[in-house]
Amino acid sequence: MADTITLTIDGQEVSVPKGTTLLKAAEKVGKDVPHYCYHDGLSSPAMCRLCLVEVQGAPKPMPACVTQAMDGQVVSTESELALDMRRGVLEFYLVNHPLDCPICDMSGECHLQDYVHEEGRDHGRSREPKRVFGRDDFGGDVLFYGDRCVMCTRCVRFMNEVEQDQRLCVVERGNRSVIDTFFERGLEGTHWHDNIVDLCPVGALVSKDFLHKARAWDLDHTPSVCPSCSQGCNIELHTRDNLVQRLKPRENLEVNAFWMCDHGRLNYEWINHGERAEAPLVRDQGGVKAMGWKEALTLLVARLGDVEGTVKAVASPFASNEDLAALQALVESLGGGDIVYRMPRAEDEIVLKGFPTLARRRDLAPNGRGADLLGLRRVGGDDGTGGLEDVSAHAGVVIVLGDGLADQGADFASGAALRVHLGTRSGPAVATADFVLPITTFAEQEGTFTNHEGRVQRFWPALNAPGLARPAWLVLGALVAEGTGSETPRRADEAFARLVAAHDAFSGLSYDDIGTRGAVVNDTVPLSGD
Amino acid sequence: MSEVPFKNPGWAGNTGEFDLDEDQVRGDDFVGTRPREGGHPSGAATYPYMLPEKHPDAPLFEGEHKERFDKILTRYPNKQAALLPTLGLAQEVRGHVSPETMDRVAELLELSPAYVRGVTTFYTMYNKRPVGRYLVQVCTNISCNLCGADDVMEAFLRYTDTEIGETSEDGEFTVVEAECLAACGFPTCVQINSRYYENVTPADVPKIIERLKAEGAGGD
Ligand code: SF4
Ligand code: SF4
Ligand code: FES
Repeated sequence: MADTITLTIDGQEVSVPKGTTLLKAAEKVGKDVPHYCYHDGLSSPAMCRLCLVEVQGAPKPMPACVTQAMDGQVVSTESELALDMRRGVLEFYLVNHPLDCPICDMSGECHLQDYVHEEGRDHGRSREPKRVFGRDDFGGDVLFYGDRCVMCTRCVRFMNEVEQDQRLCVVERGNRSVIDTFFERGLEGTHWHDNIVDLCPVGALVSKDFLHKARAWDLDHTPSVCPSCSQGCNIELHTRDNLVQRLKPRENLEVNAFWMCDHGRLNYEWINHGERAEAPLVRDQGGVKAMGWKEALTLLVARLGDVEGTVKAVASPFASNEDLAALQALVESLGGGDIVYRMPRAEDEIVLKGFPTLARRRDLAPNGRGADLLGLRRVGGDDGTGGLEDVSAHAGVVIVLGDGLADQGADFASGAALRVHLGTRSGPAVATADFVLPITTFAEQEGTFTNHEGRVQRFWPALNAPGLARPAWLVLGALVAEGTGSETPRRADEAFARLVAAHDAFSGLSYDDIGTRGAVVNDTVPLSGD
Repeated sequence: MSEVPFKNPGWAGNTGEFDLDEDQVRGDDFVGTRPREGGHPSGAATYPYMLPEKHPDAPLFEGEHKERFDKILTRYPNKQAALLPTLGLAQEVRGHVSPETMDRVAELLELSPAYVRGVTTFYTMYNKRPVGRYLVQVCTNISCNLCGADDVMEAFLRYTDTEIGETSEDGEFTVVEAECLAACGFPTCVQINSRYYENVTPADVPKIIERLKAEGAGGD
């Protein structure tokens, strides 16, 4: 290929497309050149000077983040000169740094810590007093510790280039320069500002929500998908003690690039909510009995065999594709019936101007599109309530999956011959059901959501489920298997395979193909393994 | 010295079709003449030698200042590029660039206030706080320093009875340090408003201050 060039980095030959920077080319041979100001999602001002490398023939060390690779170039990221330069730069960074790692939230994932540990001096030589800025509230979810800042201006550039609401600036110059807002006018009213906390390579910008909550090295990271709107941003759940401590965006250029919105990021407390349905509850002659799954499902299968009348079901757009498809399979095996779902909606979309394919969508649930593709019908108002008159008046079987029925009273579907509720919590309308079956949240199970553009994306279990709670696809799958004499799906990918077999929209997809990046329904799917 | 043929050095000046005369360009509210010693008046280019009064709440912009502002806009490819001279003009009108001034300038130029704050604070020639009628900038950079700038500085502080950056009680003097004023051949150099005083020694300081006070009181 004419547009490919070949160069040597640290003795290894590597071919890259023309225009590739040395930083990116070095990544290809597995060298992570230290860098602060450069970020894949922002412009490159080449101002931190931490990425200096030696280029044979160049009169001085070159910044790897902006120097374009050239054919035949011989680059050394670890020569004495390069290391010496970077050691010098790092020493300057520490001249005014407070070294307060023990009380800094970034400690453990801080690039200053890492780089100094990797290639810095083992002791500092500066004897001058350090300048002190102290702490500043930037508004929104952001706190600023000025003394820790390394002046990379990533935060300023994010607000200028990506959010495109220039709320931050560098105030003063030289040694006195510091990041600030326009006096008291902070970040309030912006919708993506927590991304600057992720961008900050050190602990200068920290999240108030996460402040002093957990140490970075105690957190487990699980890839997941944001459940707070139909955009389906790729995220990581950071957990400790079986609780979600924070959400972080996970890179996916097709969906959310490196970003996520503040609404989604801070909307996770419900996952940790303590009061959960933990055991199957069965109503019997006026009393309610907790029992094991086997017993409860045996009773339920018997009841389903007995009752007359058709089925009506309420599903939830927070349920996974697998769960919804399993519900549909059950309803079908019982003779078919209407399945509806309700969707809470926001007033407007909130578009991220610098990456306009990303927006906080109006649908405030992750799987409305999946429900639509599976043929479920949307009812109710924009606040996610109402629309259940039909179901409530139904005389046959009523099955509810995932919808907490918060707007319904104890008399919900009181005329139904049989009421089955699969949910995570109890409530007035839930407690009166004949069968209450505890299910897991998305954070406790494996599964997929289909985002607004039809991209099927996987998420993984991060938390242990409470008590006897099980994924809905497993419970529903077992019921279908009982009724039809087929096999119960044992794993989420089996449940997904059944979904694919039953629904053309999903044809050709498998967990392997979807991987961590997602795959669009009815699209050419890349073969697994590449 | 008005015989010296005046060639405006470019501050919103009479280049092109701009037909304000020099007094209008600079504002005609100077107290006293421009530099009496030193010949060429271009030293008065960006900041008037003295303003009789500063109006921290003066509107931005009105009258002849509005004309100058409009003129500034015509000379730059976009509004953002006109930020520096606009801030200069605002400082001329109001005496210093307060947060409110930054906000107003941002509004005029359709910029974000935070950006304007960043630019304003980058340049030391914008006063971020009110200053006295005479802003005394003593060069304490290397050449002047070697020739006794610290003593000159001390003398100014003593005779004006202020601390660095503070304004004297009568509102007349603010004394600050300056980095190199580009007069290294004539240390110590002191810039008072737009005017240079060269080869200043501590003994000169009381004389300079007396004269400024006299000028300020009665004009000439
Ligand atoms: S606050 Fe963080 S992101 Fe912003 S300039 Fe400082 S180090 Fe960089
Ligand atoms: S845009 Fe939607 S999916 Fe992305 S973080 Fe926000 S709420 Fe979550
Ligand atoms: S990353 Fe190259 S100069 Fe900052």
